[in-house]
Amino acid sequence: MDEPLQNLANDGAQFTPSTKEERFPRESRAVAIGIAGWLIPGLGHALQRMWGRAVVVFLAVGLLIFAGASMKGNVFTHQGNDAFDTLGYIADLGTGSFYLFARAIETGGADVSHADGDYGTRLLATAGVLNLLAALHAYEAARGHKA
Amino acid sequence: MTAIPPLELTHFQAFLLFAVVISVTFGFLGRRRPKDRVKYILWSLFLFLLVGIGVGWAMFPFSR
Repeated sequence: MDEPLQNLANDGAQFTPSTKEERFPRESRAVAIGIAGWLIPGLGHALQRMWGRAVVVFLAVGLLIFAGASMKGNVFTHQGNDAFDTLGYIADLGTGSFYLFARAIETGGADVSHADGDYGTRLLATAGVLNLLAALHAYEAARGHKA
Repeated sequence: MTAIPPLELTHFQAFLLFAVVISVTFGFLGRRRPKDRVKYILWSLFLFLLVGIGVGWAMFPFSR
């Protein structure tokens, strides 16, 4: 089994999968990278040595979360009253572990009776959707698609 | 954990924060070369501001 692969490698014209890739197929690796990118913003790109993108995604999601929570935006929970609350919860969950960070720093609770709180809610949801987009981008890059 | 100090932004500041963060992130994700990224970020930011302010003005007659 090893010999033909070695011959192909010597030809230089054929792709030879490395030992690492044999153990951990590309698709599984891409899924793992996508999940890592969702859990910790930027990690999916960092694992692929895309440092600039990793830093930008981490800072962007972190900044939006911090600003949204500081403006007393609504961090939705699973106990929503209607479909919009559920959608907001799904969007907020998009930030991965940063959702817990948002819950932790917004100890005073949400106040959406003012425009600031309403904007904060939007910024928090934006952070989640942006992180999901970045995780999907990292997944596609790991699959070998142009990124 | 102690409560963080409240952040009070005007409508335009909040809008600008959103537009800058999204433009920069899209620029980095969507383009590879630094020059292309800068062009994309500036163009995206300009369109965000144009559409945001345009829609704001379009809604003005119905605001009262």
